[in-house]
Formats: sequence, C-alpha cells, structure tokens
Amino acid sequence: MPSSTPRSGIDPMEWWRRFQEEHAWQLREFVFTLGLLRRNPSAVAGSCIIAAMVFLALAAPWIAPHDPIRISLSERLSSPSWHHLFGTDELGRDIFSRVLFGARISLRIGLLVVGIAGGLGTVLGAVAGYVGGKLDDAIMRCLDIVLSFPSLVLAMALAAALGPSLRNAIMAVAFVMIPKFARLVRGEALAVREKPFIAAAKVSGAGHGWIILHHVIPNCLSSVIVLGTLVVGETILIASSLSFIGLGAQPPTPEWGAMISVGRKFLMDQWWYATFPGCFILVTVIGFNIFGDALRDVLDPRIRR
Amino acid sequence: MRRTRFLAAICVLAALWFSGSARAGTPPDTLVVGVSSDIHLLDPAVSSDNYDWRQIYPCYDRLVKYKVVNGQGSTEVEPMAAESWQVSEDGRVWTFKIRKGIRFDDGTPLDARAVKFSFERVLKIGKGPADNLGAIQTVDVVDDYTVKITLKNPFGPFLQTLATDAASIVNPAVMKNEKGGDLAQGWLAQHTDGSGPFRLKEWIRGERCVLEAKPDYWGGAPRLKRVVIRFMRESSDRRMALERGDIDIAEGILIDQIPALEKNPDLVVRRYPSQLVEYVYLNCQKPPLDNPLVRQALNYAVDYKGIIDYVLQGNGVQMRGPIPKGMWGHKPEVFQYHRNVAKAKELLKKAGVSRLQLTLIYSERRPTWEQIATILQSNFADIGVNLKLQLMANPTLRDKIDRGDFELCLGAWSPDYADPSMFMNFWFDSNNWGLPGNRSFYKNEKVDALIRKALALSDQEARIRLYGDAQDIIMTDAPYIFLYQTQTIVPMRKNVKGYVYNPMLESMYNFESIYKQ
Repeated sequence: MPSSTPRSGIDPMEWWRRFQEEHAWQLREFVFTLGLLRRNPSAVAGSCIIAAMVFLALAAPWIAPHDPIRISLSERLSSPSWHHLFGTDELGRDIFSRVLFGARISLRIGLLVVGIAGGLGTVLGAVAGYVGGKLDDAIMRCLDIVLSFPSLVLAMALAAALGPSLRNAIMAVAFVMIPKFARLVRGEALAVREKPFIAAAKVSGAGHGWIILHHVIPNCLSSVIVLGTLVVGETILIASSLSFIGLGAQPPTPEWGAMISVGRKFLMDQWWYATFPGCFILVTVIGFNIFGDALRDVLDPRIRR
Repeated sequence: MRRTRFLAAICVLAALWFSGSARAGTPPDTLVVGVSSDIHLLDPAVSSDNYDWRQIYPCYDRLVKYKVVNGQGSTEVEPMAAESWQVSEDGRVWTFKIRKGIRFDDGTPLDARAVKFSFERVLKIGKGPADNLGAIQTVDVVDDYTVKITLKNPFGPFLQTLATDAASIVNPAVMKNEKGGDLAQGWLAQHTDGSGPFRLKEWIRGERCVLEAKPDYWGGAPRLKRVVIRFMRESSDRRMALERGDIDIAEGILIDQIPALEKNPDLVVRRYPSQLVEYVYLNCQKPPLDNPLVRQALNYAVDYKGIIDYVLQGNGVQMRGPIPKGMWGHKPEVFQYHRNVAKAKELLKKAGVSRLQLTLIYSERRPTWEQIATILQSNFADIGVNLKLQLMANPTLRDKIDRGDFELCLGAWSPDYADPSMFMNFWFDSNNWGLPGNRSFYKNEKVDALIRKALALSDQEARIRLYGDAQDIIMTDAPYIFLYQTQTIVPMRKNVKGYVYNPMLESMYNFESIYKQ
C-alpha cells in the first residue's frame, strides 16, 4: 500500500550501523561519561530523584488514589491518614493526588522552558559567536538588557503583562532564560570558529548556515545540556513562584506553587497543606541541581581524565 | 576582641528579640485594626464601599446618628449635628435645627449652608451615595442654623438615610480644592474635611491608614488618640498579629481559624446576626448571560448547602429572595434555588448553549471568596460550564464592576438603613447599573415599575405586596446567584471595650466611644 511505504529507502538497522561507524568516537565518549556518572554519588542521587519524579509524573493517573480536582467538602482539611496520605485541602481534595499531578505540570514547565529557551538561546548564541561583528553586538547587547534584570522580577513583570495563565508563565520564564544559553553558546562558538575544521568546511564550499548547524552547535551541545539540567531546577522554582503570587497556574490546576499559596493561609492549623507541595519542589529542584552540577564536573575536560 | 564583639552583637539581638516579644500590645491610646484590603477612596459623595466608610464615617458629622440601646446598635436615630427637627403634615418637608458651635478644622462653622452644600454635592455628583439621598428634592437654607429639606415623596426611612455615610456633612471650604469642575472629588478622595471626632492623618497605599482623634470634638474628646487601619492581605497574618497583640481587632478572619481564637484567653470573639449577604453578579448584558435560562441553570448548579455547611462552618443561612431575614419585606415563600444538576443541564440545552466558557472575577476582600470561587468552578463543571477564575485587587475589581467589564463576580452587600429598598431598589432598578447597586446590569421594565412604585409609597403593607411581586419575577429572571446571609464575627483583644455593632453599619466602628483598658 502506497500510504504505508517509508518515505525513503533507509533501513533503520542500516542507518544505525552507519551512525555507529561515523560517530564511533562520540559513542565511546558517551559510554565513558556514563561510567563516570555512575561513579559520582551526587549524579546518582540526582538522577534517582529525577527518575522518581518522572515516574510519578507519568504514572500519576494510575497511582493517584483520587481525582486531583474533585471537591469533597465533607472531607475538607482532614489530616494525613491512610485514605488521604497527605491529607486534604480546604475543599476536601486529596493533596497526595494533587501533588502527583503537580509533578506533571512542574516537569512539563521545566522541559518546555528549557526546550524553548535552550533552542532559541543556542541558535542566537551560535549565530552571534560565529558571525561576530555588528550582529554579535546587536544580539548580545539586547540579551544583556534581559540579563540585567533579576530573572524572577522580569518573569513576574512579563507574566503580569501577558495576563495570568500557565502558558504565559511558561513564555515569560522561557524568555528570561534565553540569555543564559545564548551567552554560553556564544563563548563556545567564538572558540569553535577558529578551529581548523571550520576553515576546512569553508574551503570545501559549506555555507555559513550549514556550518553553524553541523559544526558550531553540535560542538556546544554538551555545555548546553549541562546548563539545561541546571535551568530545569531554577525554572521549576520560578514557575512555582509565579503561581504562588497568582500569575501562573490558575485554579483548579494542582500546581505546587499555587497549592502552597493557598495552603499558607491554613499553615498554622493544617501543616500538611503547604508542607507536602513544598517538599516536592525542594526535592525536585535539588535533584536537578545536583545532577546538573555532577554532569558539569564529569564533562569538564580539565578534570575529566 | 572579635569574639567579644560577636557575643555582644548576639546579646543585643537577643535583648531586642525578648523586649520585642515582651512589649506585646499596642499603646493604650491607639487602636489598631487589621483589615484585608486597601481602601479605595475617601469621598463620602463617591464611595459606596463599607470598607471606605470605615474611615470616612468617623471623620464627619451627620444630622442624626443611629441610637445605641443597651450597648447594641439600633435602627432608630437620635440627634447629632441636628438639635431637633419637625416634619410637615404630609411628610414631605423636614426642618432641622442645627446645633451651634460645631466647627470644621479651619474654623468654618457647620451651619445650614454646609448641609445644603454637602447634600447638593452628593446629588450633583450622582454616584452610588446619591441613591441614599434620592428622596430629596430641594435643600433650602432658612437661616444660619435652620435647614429645610423637601422630599419628592414622603419617604418612611428618610431620617435613617441621614445617618448613612452619604449624608456626611462636608466643609464647604473644600471647594477651594476643586479642579476642572469636579466638586473637589479629586481632593476629597485622598483627604477628609469634616467636623467628626477623627481626621485622616496619613494613608500609605497598601500599608496603613491612620486616623487622629480631635481632642476638641464638640461631642467630647474620643478616648483613643489614634486609630490605625492596617492592610494585611493574609487572614493568617491578621490572626497571628491579633494573638501577638500587634493589632487589637482583626477583620475577615477565615472561619476555620475562629475556634483557635476562641480558645485564646486574651481574646474575645464577638458574633452578631448580620444582614450582610454574599452573592454572585451575573452580568445580564453579556451574552450568553443575557439569556435567563442560562442564569437559571447557573443558579441550579450551585451547592449552597455544601458552601454553608463547610466553608462557613454553618455560620450562615441560604438566602431566600434578595431581602435578608430580619429585614421587613423578606418573603418566606419566595422561590429558592437548590442544587439540581439534571435540571441545570436541561435548561442549558433549552437555551441552546453548549461548551460554555465563563470568567468569574473576585478579590480577597472576604476570606471565603477564594474557596467559594473554586467550588463554583467545580459546581459549574458538573453542568458542563467551564469557569475561569480571575483574582484581582479589590479597587480594580470595583472599577470593573462599575464599567460592567465582567461576566460573573462575587459580591457582598449590607443595608445602610432598615428598609427593603436597600435591596430591591438598589439591586434591580435599571437606573442603578454598576457600583450604585444594580451590579448585574439587569433591566426588566415590570420590575422597574413595581419597585419604583413601592419606593414612592409610604403604606408598608402595600410596599410589601409590590416588593413581593417583584421578587417573584426576579427569581425567575435570576440576575444574581443568591448565596447566603452571614453572621458577622469580630475577634478582638480582651482589653478593647465599648465596641458597638450595628447591622446598618457593617464593617464600620464607633471609634469615638471605643477605649482600651
């Protein structure tokens, strides 16, 4: 049937074999890095936390004992019990279930923001670093302006201007994160630009776009990944802060920051309400941060071997 | 050396800490009230918000005031700036003798001219407070200390309307602050110029408002030297401050926190049956809310019992019709909505709307609103209506209400005088759209006719009948969702004495006679 024929005649096994051949060095390096990571205790701890959070987030619909937004007024503000592991909130919703679903939201925000900011930042940084000159100045000065604000303050201002919603909060946080990636990638691109293989590519007739895409960006990728891991943690924290002040997730979305925001009103008599979402933010952010730190150590060529 | 200095620093810090906690309590001549939101403006001719009146009211005198009987506020009035009064046979012409020797801060005497100026100013500006004085046709100066007020029609509760915030007597000298013919609205929004027992000392937006007592007040110097209204958004902040003694009275404490306060031996929690009601405005001008079937469906969706039993912990009753229990004109047999999901869905189908998307705006003015908003969201979801919630600052919210720039909005209302017109005419007359009272922008000519006729009559029986007929139409038209009538709960420090609650003066205090022991 024509509709199910693959677009081109590439056999996946064949492709994988060729990939292995072409990238033998990188693959060896990757396996070596994994080995190093396994021997680094904070990397192991960090990745365990991240894996646990990802598992909870993915499995939330199956392991959550209750519907996270179903109101059950007769059970409001009940303390933790077997029926409600983390207790219930002021509308009788199960906090355990809400926290699980909150993991989905927070991780999604983290990944989306890193995806958007990392993608845009990398491209901007690579272009600025590779092309240099006036364009470099123009891009970097604009990004410096963004960087000159404390990221939370700028994200707050943007989210407030765009109107309170989760989507706008994600866009606001992504925007303030772009310069971090751009600056990093630009620095690397400046170094890569002078490498002999770039000259070789130019001599063989490669265009600037092709060089940026196939040489500059791939060479910056490991630093981008490290930064990305660290930024996920920061992002989750900023996004929760935005929700805490009402600029992020809107009710009844079970977002951690939003839950703490309401929970603090009950903190004196119902300690469990704000405590559990708070613990989850803490653990998740620590997980991403220590993993990112370990990754940086492991990938740093100066201390690598 | 360094170590000793470090130790010394620790000692100083510790000393500060302990002295701070040992001091506990506000100065004996200062009353501190912790409230939930900043105030809006201070012009008695413009504001129709009890939270503004809390500050305005003690800064001005009025011709009459509500009597206090056995330590309780009543709806009867007694002389204040007026010494005595007479009314003509037909009940239309009122002549007031004004007390001599009352002066404004700049020395201008409070005389017939000031009364005429103040009332005419309210009517000319024509905002919410003008409705309280709506019965007035003309105000005439007979002599320096005699003023004659002629009414359009005889109006039973007229004397009581003169005890409301709208009838505050303003110094005519404020006109020197007039800008562009605004009758000094711009200036009076931020200042006070009255002859009352207090004057505004400072108002720091978002932080506090300070009233200063006048030792030479004609009615005797207040025992308090100053009153500080502190704006504290968090209910738990106010509660902690009250328990610590940083504030003396805490307003709007979450009902869940009341039992803990009742156990504290330093505090008293006073409860009063109030006529304060909370309800939802459904903007009748915004499709699809212009369709009464949709409004009925929303009325059927709400879990009234759940809200009252759990959010209010039973401190309230579901409203039956617009007029609260305890006010004459309340119609016990009027239709009342109850949760009926099937019926609500059927009504939506009949209205031909599906996948309805609505937005509810609310503020943190009342501590329960956030929970109620979320419950409404869940209740509406049950009938297939997606409700978006939008929290905003109270002044922003009020501006939006005035402009009709909303779909649904949470509201609270309490009467200023004991007459059902406070509900029927304010809420439903199509001339009162916006903040003045008709906050659902409702218009029904039949209802307009009935309530206007009722307002013009003086025969109570006839008025009850007319208002009753109007209520039946209103319940079918469903321009609001009537939630509940609450109990007013005022937690205060035990040493605060002399507080008098009056359901006509909701959230307002008799600062002039409160004192601390």
